[in-house]
Amino acid sequence: MSYMLNVSAHSEPNVEVHKFYGGTIVGTVLLALVFQAFLHKYGRWSELIDLPLLVTIYFGVSRRNPISGLFLGGAIGILQDALSHDNPIGMYGIAKTLVGYLASSVGARIDTEHPLSRFGLIFLFFHFHQAILAVTQRVLLNHSAPFFTLHLFIDSLVTAAFGVVLFALLDRLRRNS
Amino acid sequence: MIDTFSRHRPLALLATVVLAQVLLLAFQIKRENNVRLIRYWAVELMTPLERAGTWTFSHVGGIWSGYVGLRNTRAENERLRNDVNTLRLRNRELESESAEAHRLETLLNFKEAHMEAPMLPAQVIGASADPTSHTLFINRGERDRVRRNMGVITPDGVVGKIVEVFPSTAQVLLINDKDSGVGALFAASRTHGVVKGSGDPQPHMDYVINEEKLQPGDVIVTSGEDRIFPKDLLIGTVDVAKPGNPFQIIAVQPAARLDRLEDVIVLLSQQELLSKKSEEASDASDVAPAQSAAQPATPPPPKTSGVVTDPNKFKPAAAAPVQSTAPASKTPAPKPRAPQR
Repeated sequence: MSYMLNVSAHSEPNVEVHKFYGGTIVGTVLLALVFQAFLHKYGRWSELIDLPLLVTIYFGVSRRNPISGLFLGGAIGILQDALSHDNPIGMYGIAKTLVGYLASSVGARIDTEHPLSRFGLIFLFFHFHQAILAVTQRVLLNHSAPFFTLHLFIDSLVTAAFGVVLFALLDRLRRNS
Repeated sequence: MIDTFSRHRPLALLATVVLAQVLLLAFQIKRENNVRLIRYWAVELMTPLERAGTWTFSHVGGIWSGYVGLRNTRAENERLRNDVNTLRLRNRELESESAEAHRLETLLNFKEAHMEAPMLPAQVIGASADPTSHTLFINRGERDRVRRNMGVITPDGVVGKIVEVFPSTAQVLLINDKDSGVGALFAASRTHGVVKGSGDPQPHMDYVINEEKLQPGDVIVTSGEDRIFPKDLLIGTVDVAKPGNPFQIIAVQPAARLDRLEDVIVLLSQQELLSKKSEEASDASDVAPAQSAAQPATPPPPKTSGVVTDPNKFKPAAAAPVQSTAPASKTPAPKPRAPQR
């Protein structure tokens, strides 16, 4: 736990920036969106696991570049909005842009390789993502979206657990430096 | 500035991307009345600016028009005041002309209603300098066939009579002058008397016995006995009637506004003034005598004998001839006098 929150300015130069094979990021993103759409058929499962969010967090903390993180998050969010029939475009875009930026910033400062660290990060980013969505919906759409519910708590735990596994799988796509 | 931007480039990019997406959302989202959110925001953003601009322009304009633009106001104000005074004067002139036209119209209507009686309209041009004397001057004289002892009336009632005639003017003795006297009778009871002036604004009716029942408002008309006024011209009404010794003391409210005379009518003869209605009535009675005979009209109230008047007082002027000293019942009906030429 101590190394999970090892936030230090001195640690930043020693942090390793992971690179991936060509097309890995694009392919993963598209697959995540397709699977998410596939999960949407099963109702509750699509709410339980947010694959685009997990991909955004993973590539954010791996690339550790805030600019590429925010653009990747924004692109994933806008695609997610575009694939949903009732969301105005930009709703997930804003949330995932911020998540991508923060994930990149956090990944440059702390160790994100340990499973527990990843679990905690996914859990926190899940709720941060949900909070941004709620604020956006409340302010722009006049909808009373919840900030926190028991369902959301369970979803965040399931997503975090699934994310730890998914991140381990995605680690295999890294290019050896 | 550029250094600051490059130092915080990720943050600036984040803000830009988020802002762009917010705008994208605002472009898609529609609020009530189907108005896009971005238009809402644009209006909300621009309204304070427009308000501030309007406020600024109005205040700057107010300062300009309230201070800078007032350089010529004093002269303009003076000119406008003069215009107002001129227009007020013109307005008074028009009002006066309108009133005169109204008076003349009344006189004309009266004259047209009595075409059988020769009469002459005249304007009052002056009054007596003696406060105790109720006389006035009119703009008609000998050249206009005006002679002494001709009656002067208005459409409202009796005014007085001509006492002096000059080539182009004449003097009128009003009925409230102390030297005036007019043969009169009550329209209802036909009781005779004499309306005499006393120097007060209100003349009095003399020689009415105490037994005569009178009410304020009883109408008094000319009796024709003075050979100046035709019969049944309105003189006025009873204002106050009190028992006296030996006769009642009756204050008369003149029908004519003796204190505000401007246009009068000089009766060129003593011919009775018959209103058109009475003429029509008489014509009708002539046409249908049978009906009249079958249903006789209510006879007029019996005339009481005329009161003997003081001849000297009844005379309009010292030089005027004595009109009548006999009771009315014995006095022959006054003949219309042809105007003296």
